[in-house]
Amino acid sequence: MNARLLVVEPFEERPAAASTAEALRLLGPAVALELHHEAPVAAAALRARHSDLVVLDHRLGDDLWSLLCRAREGATPALVIGEAGDEAHALRAFRAGATGYVERGPAFAENLSTAAREQLQWVQRIRGSIPSFVEEKNAGTLDRYSRNIIENMNSALLVINREGAISYANPTAERALGVGDGELEGRDLRDWFPGAEAEEILPLRTVKEGTRFRGVETVLTRADGTLIPTGISCAPLVDAEGVGEGAVAIFQDLVEIKQLQRQVLQTEKMASIGQLAAGVAHEINNPMGFIHANLSQLTEYLDDLQKVWAQVEGLRGAADRDPADAQQVREAARALGATIQAVDAGFLMRDFGTAIRESLEGSERIRAIVTDLRAFSHQDTAERALCDINRALDSTANIVWTMMKHSVVLTKQYEELAPMVGFPMQLKQVFMNLLVNAYQAIEERAAREELRGEIRLRTELQGEEVLITVTDNGVGMPKETLDRIFDPFFTTKEVGVGTGLGLSTSFNLIKNHGGTLRAQSEVGRGTSFEVRLPLGDPDELL
Amino acid sequence: MSETLPVVLLVDDEKHILSALSRCLRREGYEILSVGSAAEALRVLGERPVDLIVSDQKMPGTHGIAFLTEVERGGSRVPRVLLTGWPEEIPQAEIERAGITALLPKPWDDAELKSTLRSCLTG
Repeated sequence: MNARLLVVEPFEERPAAASTAEALRLLGPAVALELHHEAPVAAAALRARHSDLVVLDHRLGDDLWSLLCRAREGATPALVIGEAGDEAHALRAFRAGATGYVERGPAFAENLSTAAREQLQWVQRIRGSIPSFVEEKNAGTLDRYSRNIIENMNSALLVINREGAISYANPTAERALGVGDGELEGRDLRDWFPGAEAEEILPLRTVKEGTRFRGVETVLTRADGTLIPTGISCAPLVDAEGVGEGAVAIFQDLVEIKQLQRQVLQTEKMASIGQLAAGVAHEINNPMGFIHANLSQLTEYLDDLQKVWAQVEGLRGAADRDPADAQQVREAARALGATIQAVDAGFLMRDFGTAIRESLEGSERIRAIVTDLRAFSHQDTAERALCDINRALDSTANIVWTMMKHSVVLTKQYEELAPMVGFPMQLKQVFMNLLVNAYQAIEERAAREELRGEIRLRTELQGEEVLITVTDNGVGMPKETLDRIFDPFFTTKEVGVGTGLGLSTSFNLIKNHGGTLRAQSEVGRGTSFEVRLPLGDPDELL
Repeated sequence: MSETLPVVLLVDDEKHILSALSRCLRREGYEILSVGSAAEALRVLGERPVDLIVSDQKMPGTHGIAFLTEVERGGSRVPRVLLTGWPEEIPQAEIERAGITALLPKPWDDAELKSTLRSCLTG
């Protein structure tokens, strides 16, 4: 075994019976020893040359810790020699980065050489597994590489020992949990999951059962008490013999991702509402158009009829005069007749009524749209609530239908349903997406062929689930499209028509409800979307 | 005498809009023809000459812009007005392709409607 060892011990005029150097010579001539008595010189040597192992004596006092730190920096394994029975010192040495600890006492020389041999063998095992491109580099460099990677990676890394305490945390983990340099080491992992049961803390399950986890969402509590959503992955840590030593956990702060997700949801909601608003605006604009025009015409009618009325007054005045002047009465009657003809009073009287009737019909239509809007905005809450699925679907369909009633027949088949626990506004957003998609598919097909557009809505209770189907006879989709419709940003619509998020958002909203969203489609025949939602337990709301 | 009146063809799927337009144009001295769709309008155009077309944009089946483009393709020189609630949403290129003489907003202003139609007929 070719290896370089750096031994540091304080100078003694009369060395102990079995000196460290002597004990290490048991390793054989292939192991080169470099002995130092002065800590600064040893530190310089550590920096200047590669060593496979450094052996440090506890009598170095505080120099021991600084040298351990140096060794750790250079990723050189460090064996510490301590007084027999001084467990506190041993523990401190390990925490400071010692890779091995040997007590003075009976069989010291043998123990030391065995420990050193093991450490060197370990170094060589690593060397044996170095890929060829770094083969020329030494193990220390490789160790430095991995240390660099671990310390600089953007994921937080924790090593948890068998007892569930943190034995190592990289700087990202310290930042994520809001603690200072080195403050995590030795802390109980449970401190970061206050109030959680042991089986809810995934790394502890890995320690106990050896279970692996990948990217599971879990909430950690920072030092300042704030909660952070994270995606955590855990793997068991085993020694050379395959015995469990604890677990390695890597986690990523999901706060930013969660924020982005919320923004995407909001964008999609705004896009759907924009579409809806445009449809509703058009349906209100038409009656507004003729009501407005009629009112200004009726003002003109009234002006003309007032002219007639003025002549009527004149005639009455002439007839009432005492004694009545027949000539004047005739004159007034002639003038009245002329005005009646000039303003076409007969038409005005008839059309006045028609214009009012038509305007009333228009205002009734606007009133109905507002009623639909009110029904749609009922339960506009972000909270969980008991939802009446039929009502949510129906009010959404009525609103969306205002924009498509000219080209689409809507058929509804609602089965009586039990109330369901869910987020009513989210469900309405999903229904709106499905209806708008159905409408667009119909429009697309209608542009190519004569078509009586049809959307069929159906709800039914299937055991503990509600099944909602929205079926259209629009263009339909080929399988390649169907496979991708729930992918975010996938769209077949022209730029500016869709966000490409409608169906992926719908998919996620339904998933959040513990339900499923599926689609079947046939080109030229139409598409059917199927939403399945669990009824949930109404007691959960209490 | 009625043969000498300019003929205005009104196209809108909303019959109350047609009725309100006629009401407004009642004293303008036009012969007014009202139809409920682009298809009907094309049939009328095939049967008799008209002097002016006023068409709604958003109609089931063929939209106003597409209908007027078809009129343009047929080589017609009849001035045409597009009535729309969202005039700013119609691209200039489409307006030109359809040979549109004027755009009118919906709801319209009576005086503006009358003056637009008059200038279309004299210009």
